[in-house]
Amino acid sequence: MLRAVRTVLALSFALMLLGACTGGGDEGEEQGGAVTITVLDYYGEATPFSEDVIAGFEAKYPDIKVAYEAGDWDTMHEKFTVRVSSGDSPDVATMDMTWIPTFASKGIFANLTDLSGGQLNGAPIEDAYTPGALEAMTYEGNYVTMMFDFDAYSLYYRSDHFKDKGIEVPTNWDELQAAAGQLAEDTNGDGECDKYCFVVEGNDCFHWCQFLFQDGGSILNADNTAAAFNSPEGLSAMEYYKSFLDDGSGMYWGEAQGEKIRGVKDERIGMFMDGPYFMGIMKDGAPDQSGMWGVTQAPYSKEPGSYLGGTGLSIPVNAPHPDQAWTFIQYMLELPQQIGVYTLAGAAPATSAALESPELSKPDPYFGDEAPFPVFMDAMATATHFPYVPAWDEVDTTIGNMVQSVMLGKATPEQALADGEAEANQELAG
Amino acid sequence: MVPAYVLIAPAILAAGVFLYVPIVFSGYWSFTEYSGLGAAKWVGLGNYTELLGDADFRKALFNTFVFVLLGMGIGPVLGLLSALLLNQSARLRGFFRAAYFIPVMTSLVVVATIWKIMLQEEGIINQILSVFGVPARSWLDGTTTALPSVVATSIWQGFGFETVVFLAALQSIPRDYYDAARVDGAGYWQQVRHITLPSLRPTIMFVYIIGIIGSFQVFDQIFVMTAGGPINSTRTLVFDLYERFNRLNLGEASAVAYVLLAILATLSYVQIFLFERRR
Repeated sequence: MLRAVRTVLALSFALMLLGACTGGGDEGEEQGGAVTITVLDYYGEATPFSEDVIAGFEAKYPDIKVAYEAGDWDTMHEKFTVRVSSGDSPDVATMDMTWIPTFASKGIFANLTDLSGGQLNGAPIEDAYTPGALEAMTYEGNYVTMMFDFDAYSLYYRSDHFKDKGIEVPTNWDELQAAAGQLAEDTNGDGECDKYCFVVEGNDCFHWCQFLFQDGGSILNADNTAAAFNSPEGLSAMEYYKSFLDDGSGMYWGEAQGEKIRGVKDERIGMFMDGPYFMGIMKDGAPDQSGMWGVTQAPYSKEPGSYLGGTGLSIPVNAPHPDQAWTFIQYMLELPQQIGVYTLAGAAPATSAALESPELSKPDPYFGDEAPFPVFMDAMATATHFPYVPAWDEVDTTIGNMVQSVMLGKATPEQALADGEAEANQELAG
Repeated sequence: MVPAYVLIAPAILAAGVFLYVPIVFSGYWSFTEYSGLGAAKWVGLGNYTELLGDADFRKALFNTFVFVLLGMGIGPVLGLLSALLLNQSARLRGFFRAAYFIPVMTSLVVVATIWKIMLQEEGIINQILSVFGVPARSWLDGTTTALPSVVATSIWQGFGFETVVFLAALQSIPRDYYDAARVDGAGYWQQVRHITLPSLRPTIMFVYIIGIIGSFQVFDQIFVMTAGGPINSTRTLVFDLYERFNRLNLGEASAVAYVLLAILATLSYVQIFLFERRR
């Protein structure tokens, strides 16, 4: 009998401990009747989700408090994955647009078409965005994210050295190759560029794929069922990209080299393709190079082309407060907050109203008092988002490996494209 | 008197909640298609057959075995040699023991970041090698040099642990054995072969079991230094698991975890069996 009592006591104690470990989930949620929403942000230090902006939201909506969690792009994917799969979802999260297919295909996002009733800040969502942006926000007929900033690639170049060396700003592939050759320097005489180089990046689809687009090619076929990059356009894009390394005007930039801003800062890099968000990174990371850079439309062979990406604001399907989260998203998409994307974070806002704002066309001293933003707007007009297929992450990795194998001289362009096509088709078939 | 159950309840609870329950769930998920949300869909052995046909997984498996073979082939031997050297003389022993152990105490992320910088084309490794006429290269960009570079980093970081463990074991061997051997005319290497190594057998087994388990679970260095590249040349099992988890393929990620568990359990059993048989 005594033994049984002891056992019961022990189990009771264990349950108390368990309760102590797991209890209190909803405590602290309500603060004087207000609902607290959690916002996960990957912008880093220069963020449009500034204290003032959040204070403005809380003043406008006193029934909603914001628990703001700062993060960074590098770790946001796994942080979000862990939070969602462990039932601890944030209410709003910044999402790289290239992550949308993977998460959306798993049913992670709330259906914003239903949640919004088709309205954003009192007007149809369709009125707030360009057609390209609307397409990028849609998965299987429903909005799963609201584009907050956009990303489309243009050419960054050292305007001071262009001027010193009498180099014309390139507009097509031939001129780009000639300009890279004139700009590049080989200071140690090993036959490879080590100063003011054109950057050749090969870890993913972002960089090579824009050359594919500019040559009239595409990543997948029209119905997204098979790879289409093993084509004459794919081959010429691959050979062209590799030629910068072969003629000594380019510098390979992979994972081992670390952040690209380091190369900008120590002047190994003189020219590269990237999106508007990189303007903010340059101003933060290389402030001493103010006035030395220019931005121009990415040179092309047949037609302008870039990938269309950026940041979306999404609500996880198991978010505790989806309605309040949608209120917050609407607030962040109002004009002042959208302009803040540019003024606070140096990135490019996504709504049409913000894109038309004169604030964004002001001369920028960092870029020699030119206005770089309209260049990116032009790039956006001809950009296309990556295919929205569930296996996009795998296909992206395959393309990255394929490009890398050519750039590192491990495979011929023909062989790499054929191998990449076979692998991508296998991944698409599931 | 407090019942024994109460005393062990915290430990049992902690182990149950944070170890055994996840293990059971992960085992179940490895037979399902599961994203972390909604219901898991039973697919039987589907995830395991998927892995067998997956080139990325096979590459990760191969790379992991190469990492283990290189790391465990060199690291413990270096640790033993340095312990034998330190055991020769008491002078500066404390200094070297501390010096060897500092990298072990340093965060692996910090170590990997420093080595990543040192291994760059303009890094200090190339500057040193250039004295011997070795041309500069970006070690982590080469498909044949990236994995050995990560192995070298791991050995550098970990062999201080092996040194200290071996040194402690060496100092526990009774001096009488060596005195008797010397009286019988045994030289230094004969003493090492017939006294030191047999006496160290349990320590060697400990070092190899711990080392092999750690090597199979290599992740931090890969994540920081190469992210599995270039062209999957440093992709390892845990990195493969991490990528599948990141894609919310929790079923496949769990299957990778169980493959890893099966490999480690088998190897540990074989090691213990072999050492026990020789005893």
